[in-house]
Amino acid sequence: MASRAPSGRLRRWARPALGLLLPVGLALAWEIVVRLGLSSGRLVPPPTRLFATIVELARSGELARHIIATLTRVVAGFGLGVVAGTVLGAVSGYWGLARRLLDPTVQALRAIPSIAWVPLFILWLGIFETSKIALIAVGVFFPVYLGVMGAILSVDRKIVEVGRTFRLSGPEMIRRILLPAVLPAYVVALRVGLGLGWMFVVAAEFMGASEGLGYLLIDGQQLGKPAQILAAIVIFAILGKTTDWLIEIATAPLLRWQDAFGRPGGAA
Amino acid sequence: MLVLDRLSKIYPNGVHALERFSAEIRLGEIVAVIGGSGCGKSTLLRAIAGLDRATSGTVTLGDIAISAPHEKIGIIFQEPRLLPWLSVADNIGFGLSDLPANVRREKVATALARVGLADKARAWPRELSGGQAQRVAIARALVPQPEVLLLDEPFSALDAFTRRDLQDHLLDLWADMRPTLVLVTHDVDEAVVLADRVLVMRPRPGRLFEEIQINLARPRDRHSPLFDNFKRRVLTALDRSLDRNVPDAAAKSNAGEAMWW
Repeated sequence: MASRAPSGRLRRWARPALGLLLPVGLALAWEIVVRLGLSSGRLVPPPTRLFATIVELARSGELARHIIATLTRVVAGFGLGVVAGTVLGAVSGYWGLARRLLDPTVQALRAIPSIAWVPLFILWLGIFETSKIALIAVGVFFPVYLGVMGAILSVDRKIVEVGRTFRLSGPEMIRRILLPAVLPAYVVALRVGLGLGWMFVVAAEFMGASEGLGYLLIDGQQLGKPAQILAAIVIFAILGKTTDWLIEIATAPLLRWQDAFGRPGGAA
Repeated sequence: MLVLDRLSKIYPNGVHALERFSAEIRLGEIVAVIGGSGCGKSTLLRAIAGLDRATSGTVTLGDIAISAPHEKIGIIFQEPRLLPWLSVADNIGFGLSDLPANVRREKVATALARVGLADKARAWPRELSGGQAQRVAIARALVPQPEVLLLDEPFSALDAFTRRDLQDHLLDLWADMRPTLVLVTHDVDEAVVLADRVLVMRPRPGRLFEEIQINLARPRDRHSPLFDNFKRRVLTALDRSLDRNVPDAAAKSNAGEAMWW
């Protein structure tokens, strides 16, 4: 957010740079502290050691294996959660009777912290992939369900009336009025859902996995390798940001019409 | 001929919005419906549009009974109600989706030029001013060439200058195809500028109070004494319509010359 507006070129480069100042500065300072021997850096490894760990993991092929395992779980769980959340959310939003039947139950289930399902999922689905994917799907389901239902319920009645005056049929009304009207809120719901998916994959991998970034975390803890833990955390951050950005890129052309706050700046 | 026969509307909450409203509106005529708030003007318009069904009574256009939106009836609301995700051109072409793309494009281009917004074809609705947006709404309603165009206080959200501009523009567009216009308004000036006939309604329940013919040649001079006379007549009728002591029977003094004048 550029509250004060300096001249154009400065603003364009200065703003991202400003955001990097703090993390890069801290990393640099820590590196110097360790190099000067003021700290051993054993519990908090300096950036160079962290980087070396990542390179080493990548070179051995370990890193790719763990990333693929985690990514597969997130994609599968996210996919299932999105499909279920979209279908049930759409039904509840569109059809009053279904909403009265379904929504109270869903809301009650939502009140349960999703991690509480873990023991039950393990009993029901075993300790391998299925229970992990189910947990992620549950985490993704609720924000998507709520987002879709809320978006449909809040479609402007006046816009729907425009559709009626042009005598749109039911399916046409959905395609030409409801879907575009709901899309912005749906994208937000997808992004929130994805964020929760990344959160739950860690929980799922904590409950006994032999591969995956969550396994790297646990393994690093048990073997006393803080560099490995930090490496996994950094990779989580990169993957999470990248997948979120993919959704943003994929939907941007559909949302160009939106009157967004801070759009002209570009970097917002 | 658009025939409204004893239209009544009672809302589920018991409000008696409209009672036995009858009128016959000739093809190509411009009729303004005016009245205080709560007199059922908008209810009437929505019933003609087929958006809400009257509790009793009928709307007939030619030999078609209207009970749902019909292709021969277009409507313009107080707000432009453009679809924000469509470009200006796609908004105007919204009602033409049955036509082949090239025909549609041609009609949209003609309409855009006609409302003076040819350079805005690819703009988003949010980039338009209030007056421009309402022009697009008018073009969208007129492009399917309706026989009847209903307008629900279409210019009331605009500033005085833009409002005058659009009133003149509407008359200009009307002259192209001469659709029947039924205009709901609370602006006496607007009613007298546009209409061949002004229907004054009275509230609780909403019903017809008086009809006033505006026998003035177009284009009308807003500053002529004759124009002022008609304005005063409509204003007086409005005042009387709100006076509970004046009986409804006054509604029958419909024709051009009111005897008390």
